[in-house]
Amino acid sequence: MRTSRIYAGALLLVLLLAWELSARVFHLSTLVLPAPSLVLEALWRGLRTGYLWPHIGQTSLELVLGLLLGCVLGFACGVVMGESAFLRRTLMPYVVTSQVIPKLALAPLFIVWFGFGSTPTVVITALICFFPLMENTLTSIQQVDAQRLELFRMLGATRWQTLWRLKIPAGLPGILAGLRVAVVLALVGAVVGEFIGASKGLGALIIATQGMMDTPLMFAVLLLITLLGMALYQITLAVEKWLLKPYVTTN
Amino acid sequence: MAFLDMSGVSYTYPGWPAVVRQVDWDIAQGEFHCLVGRSGCGKTTLLKLAAGLLQPDEGTVSLQGLPVQKPGPQLGFVFQSPTLLEWLRVLDNVLLPIAIQRQPTPAEVNRAAQLLDLMGLSIYREHYPRQLSGGQQSRVAIARALILEPAILLMDEPFAALDAITREELQDDLLELCRSRKTTVFFVTHDITEAVYLADRVAVMEGGRISKDLLVDLPQPRGNELRYSPKFNEICAQLRHAMDGDRR
Repeated sequence: MRTSRIYAGALLLVLLLAWELSARVFHLSTLVLPAPSLVLEALWRGLRTGYLWPHIGQTSLELVLGLLLGCVLGFACGVVMGESAFLRRTLMPYVVTSQVIPKLALAPLFIVWFGFGSTPTVVITALICFFPLMENTLTSIQQVDAQRLELFRMLGATRWQTLWRLKIPAGLPGILAGLRVAVVLALVGAVVGEFIGASKGLGALIIATQGMMDTPLMFAVLLLITLLGMALYQITLAVEKWLLKPYVTTN
Repeated sequence: MAFLDMSGVSYTYPGWPAVVRQVDWDIAQGEFHCLVGRSGCGKTTLLKLAAGLLQPDEGTVSLQGLPVQKPGPQLGFVFQSPTLLEWLRVLDNVLLPIAIQRQPTPAEVNRAAQLLDLMGLSIYREHYPRQLSGGQQSRVAIARALILEPAILLMDEPFAALDAITREELQDDLLELCRSRKTTVFFVTHDITEAVYLADRVAVMEGGRISKDLLVDLPQPRGNELRYSPKFNEICAQLRHAMDGDRR
């Protein structure tokens, strides 16, 4: 475990070094492939002058809002459709259809509807997060084992109690796995949403750097997006681990 | 008057042949009855009928003279697996039957703690079920079934998954608990020695019918040395023979 981490770190250093050297030796154009040192310099400058911060803030905000909105709605729909076979059969074709449409292709439409700014990005992000949460919630709460359902019947539990005290907690591992997927997809939604209709945010900045032919800054922004995604994923993992502590066999 | 009275009870799952056919069985208050039979003979279905989890197609099930129409707090049920909720601490699992109805009072919390004491689990009160061994989980499940002080305890092969020694310990604990509370028990098992050790009376079920009614004439209270006595083995052999029934 520990040695593999050391190797992973060493590999990164080797790759970066090779990149740096080949950029210098072969005199690659910074427009095509800037050396890592240039990228880091651009990143450092952007952070120090405060140029990047509003963009990071904007993307984070859209990401969190979209994630919240999509996950809450996805969870709610998953619960409702998991509980009612009638609604499940009626609504499922619509849900599937809405998911088959590439949501990014809807971005121009959302700009028409919601104008430029963060709203269309939040909506796209929410739409993307919706499905994994709904699907996992729907499946998880239906998979509660029969004996436990009988136990709740024995105890005279209402449908509501069976849902909140049994089905949802029992389905929590599956629901949280859906959240993990949603978090990764949310970043895609936010960044690509900004490509199309935003003047602020990391996605918009990528388009802007392309126009300015500032490839080192573009790489710096890509690095920031990666870091943002990794941070969010790690936070989700930590939350998941904390919530699922009682579910893990420790004997 | 019988405490639990089943008369002429039949049950059929839709699209299948009858699982329980014309069963008459009654249990007097404070008695411990075991129901044995091969897999698929309808034991669990009969137990669910007694619990009100299923309604008989024919016949009646009544408890203390009242028909059992749906499950309720007068019945304690212990399933094949412990069915504990892994996200609740052990104490909260025991209190679940109360928590479903209302907020447990401090007296009830005390009672749950006492039950755990009796089960030798007081130090695990704040643990989660997944941190306990299989035998300990079964004990918690029994404590949970007893928290509402049910008039009758229905048990569906609760010890089937445990190792032999743990099973014997749990059998002794169960007998002691039930004797001290005068709880009536209907216990389904496929283990012959378990049935003979626990029961006052054993019903053998075959093909949906009770094929044999065996009185276990062994002294109370029962202890471990009984398990190796000739009388005990004789009754086991008798029961084994009864289970072979018409197959010979």
